[in-house]
Amino acid sequence: MASYRKKALALVAAASMATALAACGSGGGSSNSGTKAGATGGTLTYYIKAALEHTDPQRTYVGRDITDWSRTVYRQLVTFPVSDDPTTATTPVPDLATNTGTSSDSAKTWQFTIRPGVTWQDGKAITCADFKYGASRPFATDVVTGGPNYILTYLDIPIDSKTGLPIYTGPYKSSAAGTAAFNKAITCAGNTITYHFKKSWPDFPLAIAALHMMDPYRQDKDQGDKSNYQIFSNGPYELQGTWDKETGGTFVRNPNYKASSDTTGSRKALPNKIIFNIGKTSETIADQLIADSGPDKAAVTGQSIPPSYYSQITGSVASRAASVVSPYTDYAVINFKRITNVKVREAIAASTNDTGWVTAGGGAKSFKEAHDIVNPAVKGYQPDLYPAGAGDPAKSKQLLQEAGVKTPYPLTFTYPSSDTMDKQAAALKQGWEAGGFKVTLEGVADQDTYYTNIQAPAQKDDVIWAGWGADWPSAITVTAPLFDSRPNLTPSSNGQDYGGYKSSAFNALVDQAQGSSDLDAQTKYLQQADQVLAKDVAYVPLDTQIFYMLRGSDVTGYKTDAASNSYPDLGVIGVK
Amino acid sequence: MLAYIVRRLFAGGILLVAMSMITFILFFAIPSDPAQFACGKNCSLAQRAQVRKGLGYDKPVAVQWENFAVGVFKGRDYPDDKSLAKSAPQLIAHCAAPCLGYSRVNLQTVTQEFKQRIPVSASLALAAFLMWIIGGIGLGALAAVWKGTIIDRGVVGISLVFYAFPTFFVGLFLLKYLAIKWQVFPVPSYISIADGGLWNWFVNLILPALTLALFYMAGYVRMTRAFVLESMSEDYLRTAKAKGLAPRKILYKHTMRAALTPLVTMAGLDLAGLLGGAVITESVFNYNGLGKLVVDSVITFDLPTVVGLVLLLGAFVIVANIIVDILYALIDPRVRVG
Amino acid sequence: MSQSESQMERLDTADMVDVVDPEAVLGKSPTQLALGRFRRDKLSMVSFVVVAVYTIGALLAPLLVKIGFLKPELQHQNLLNVSLGSIPKTHFGGASWSHPLGVVPGTGVDVMSRLWYGITFSLTIALAASLVAIVIGTVLGIVSGFAGGIVDAVIGRLVDLTLSFPQTLMLLALSSAGVVACAKFLPGSASDPLANGFYEVLVLGLFGWPPITRLIRGQVLTIREREFVEAARLFGASKGRIYFKEILPNLWAPVLVSFTLTMPAYISAEAALSYLGVGIHPPTPTLGNVLTDSINYSVADFSYFFYPALLIAIVVVSFNLLGDGLRDALDPKADR
Repeated sequence: MASYRKKALALVAAASMATALAACGSGGGSSNSGTKAGATGGTLTYYIKAALEHTDPQRTYVGRDITDWSRTVYRQLVTFPVSDDPTTATTPVPDLATNTGTSSDSAKTWQFTIRPGVTWQDGKAITCADFKYGASRPFATDVVTGGPNYILTYLDIPIDSKTGLPIYTGPYKSSAAGTAAFNKAITCAGNTITYHFKKSWPDFPLAIAALHMMDPYRQDKDQGDKSNYQIFSNGPYELQGTWDKETGGTFVRNPNYKASSDTTGSRKALPNKIIFNIGKTSETIADQLIADSGPDKAAVTGQSIPPSYYSQITGSVASRAASVVSPYTDYAVINFKRITNVKVREAIAASTNDTGWVTAGGGAKSFKEAHDIVNPAVKGYQPDLYPAGAGDPAKSKQLLQEAGVKTPYPLTFTYPSSDTMDKQAAALKQGWEAGGFKVTLEGVADQDTYYTNIQAPAQKDDVIWAGWGADWPSAITVTAPLFDSRPNLTPSSNGQDYGGYKSSAFNALVDQAQGSSDLDAQTKYLQQADQVLAKDVAYVPLDTQIFYMLRGSDVTGYKTDAASNSYPDLGVIGVK
Repeated sequence: MLAYIVRRLFAGGILLVAMSMITFILFFAIPSDPAQFACGKNCSLAQRAQVRKGLGYDKPVAVQWENFAVGVFKGRDYPDDKSLAKSAPQLIAHCAAPCLGYSRVNLQTVTQEFKQRIPVSASLALAAFLMWIIGGIGLGALAAVWKGTIIDRGVVGISLVFYAFPTFFVGLFLLKYLAIKWQVFPVPSYISIADGGLWNWFVNLILPALTLALFYMAGYVRMTRAFVLESMSEDYLRTAKAKGLAPRKILYKHTMRAALTPLVTMAGLDLAGLLGGAVITESVFNYNGLGKLVVDSVITFDLPTVVGLVLLLGAFVIVANIIVDILYALIDPRVRVG
Repeated sequence: MSQSESQMERLDTADMVDVVDPEAVLGKSPTQLALGRFRRDKLSMVSFVVVAVYTIGALLAPLLVKIGFLKPELQHQNLLNVSLGSIPKTHFGGASWSHPLGVVPGTGVDVMSRLWYGITFSLTIALAASLVAIVIGTVLGIVSGFAGGIVDAVIGRLVDLTLSFPQTLMLLALSSAGVVACAKFLPGSASDPLANGFYEVLVLGLFGWPPITRLIRGQVLTIREREFVEAARLFGASKGRIYFKEILPNLWAPVLVSFTLTMPAYISAEAALSYLGVGIHPPTPTLGNVLTDSINYSVADFSYFFYPALLIAIVVVSFNLLGDGLRDALDPKADR
């Protein structure tokens, strides 16, 4: 159904930075690959609560959509394969390219060769020009909005000092100089495409496997914003008719897809038809999947079971539920403009009742207490960075005493209000108050502007909730974008550094990490950087979200893995 | 009569113009930024400014309103960018007159959105209307005839109970138990007559329409009951009784007619309100009618749609008022128009 | 919420039809007669008692919170089963002597405390919104009826304009900005219950007055022509005297009836708005936001699911019956 609030919450989750990869191996209760692989045929229904904001590859930025499209309609140069092993599932394999790319000039130049014989749904070959055109689209920042825009900062194109954006402004309208610069930055030689970057990008293949920003796009199909819900496939399925934002769409087999051109082994494409059904609430979806009748027998969903339904997941229903640790982490940042005394920040961390937070959110099947802002599945995770647990009020009081501040110390906590979050915030409040604080909760009802509001430099709250998922499985897409003060802090916005954190020690370590072309060295610097954050108490990690999803009884080969961002992996799922 | 209708329509038109102005002023005063929403989270200030310009929200409110008003008669292009029209004409969306705006969220003109949504809301409103009119008037008359008995109390009591529980509570309850658990009805999803035939259209409408009807019915039961009782006590009825007419005949021939006038007023305005979409019921049952469009457009800062909706729903009410007044005059000759 | 609103309008239309009848208010029957009739009506008396109990409860709640008898925020997560979505461990929503109605899933807060204190906030919102609507409606209605001419016409168009705006849409669309704007004039921030409640009251009230204006205007016009006013006029009473001594006292009956019928409409509206995400949100309880949270627990925790809806239903029914009873009592004809 979609109440205003529930939909809004979904939007926050979507906006809260989408994608990422995670492994399930580490947590969760039940198995992540519950059923045996099945045969070809049948119709699979995929239930999704809220409307997708985009289906355009360059604008897709939601983890669920990225993996759904990867397996069905949008092939990439390299992609993540289906695998129960988290490392394998997050190691790119060649897809539309013949290899996983070769780099030179300390990872500033990347080269791929496009596989021969790969075609669009109309039978035309996918060319280097299509890749180049796809990469050009995010530069039209007023048209192709909402997607990842790393390419804007990496691709070797001069910056226009007036706008602060690259001088190339996209394929629709650009100065001759801009177009020339772009043509130099991405070059095509026959079937070989070469990308030239300003700075090292050692994990570029990871980035393009995890996102669709560098996907090919056919220029003759491009209508800018009007193409937002157009799906022009090169994968095993194609859209039947059009995509309806409110209700979804139906995918049927793409006659021009040749399985022989696909060596990933991750697109079994078992169902003849996949129906995306949009608009039901998580509760209705859970109700229908529990009832398991009619087309719901062959249904999967991207929504977790709401905690109010856990008591119904017993017996045969339980065998149709899978629980995995998701790539998404929630955390609280501390506002450095307001709480300058490190002892007070330490007291906040000490009295944070993480156990209460998780319990209020539905317990162990909804959340896992977090020890680090970096997700357990991401390289660079440190399990002992924060203690989590129920908090230590005595230690907190003592720290406040050492800080020499008057108690109870007034504290405000801001978060996007929802039924669940209101309860979770209340649990934190009780913990902090036991630790010597006097807490005011600021639940923000208007969730769509939540991130805009907490980006304001004049933000007056002391502790601020935020959520994050790594864009690709490297800590460089976690701590660096969230706490590096240089790209974030401007007079008009805190960017994603919501607490206004500024540390030269941290920034220096980020520079060293970004400068290293070796991934292990990079990880080491990032771990040190995270330790700096923990010492300064720049943030307090709260939880790692658990995905707990139901499926119908006729679903075969059900799997959620790191490659599918812990969502149902359409590459291997079939129906009886 | 004709002159009266023309005069009322003219006044209604002026009302709509006033509404459009007020709406623009109100929404321009809103501090929230549709460009931020369109741009996504990972969006620099420079990008946001570009998006705002693309959406046309950088202009003063008077200019925006003027563009809107001109668009209604002449049509508009989105985005209104001459150089882009030259370099990439395939990007421009044309919104033909009467243009109420173009939704960047739904990639449709507001008029197209309405065309899709109105049948949904109208089907729902009509089905619900029939249910509550038949149920409400029938049960109300029943209660009046059996005044004071257990039937009277039962009817009035039960209808009040359904009125008293919030709509979303009743709706979710019906959905969860009647449709999903016990599978008496299909899980409702709107199917047009053209797509699924009359039967499918109707079966899918039952639960949402019932939710609305149960809510509205209470008022009609109580009103019908009150009118019937009141009319039954009017002098001419007493005379009729004295003349020995059967009570049932009195009820049909005299009472109902007298009670009809106020009922028409009420029913007309209720129906008009419902045609504009039942926000909660459509949300509960995931019916993509005007009511759900209200919620969706508010969430996504889809200002053109919001403005269009204000005017459309306002127009419904205005027209309904005019029709009700005319009907009123037709039913009860004592009422003079003009 | 659109539904509840039109419900309210309809009830008011009903008033117009019923109460406009001059006899109803003019009363050959003095107040005592009406009171007598009211007392004889059992259903009305029962609903009056229920409304009184709610009102007294609402008045007492803040006191009981202060002395610690009600604890609408204190959590007892130890009473919850963490492996089943944090629902209460024991039956009947975890009911016990210290928590007679059980505890809230997730937090373990006492349900009785939240509901009892929630009644205070819900009734306050409904009362304030009713007052806004009735004060504006009555004043404009009187002015319109008395002044006639251009003033009457202007107010009439204002009524049309207000009624034409889709109020649910406006309420939702303006909520974030409206609450921020309200917060500017009030202590506390935009997420403060005061600002949210104030916005809700203001918008409900500002959209709620037109039917009352129409009703009162009709009353004024009718009374103006009545014999006793004519008589007073013939005796040379001043205009002011006629208005204040002869006409105003005859308006209290329709105003009172309107009030008892707007109250339940606004109580429902508060619940509906909570469901749509507008209005006061937790930790401050209202009947609406407790219900919105409880609505999904019909299977997992039936008692938590049931109590909030029941409490709303009882108060809404009682207010409606009370309004009906009052109307009947003030309208001798209905007794026939």
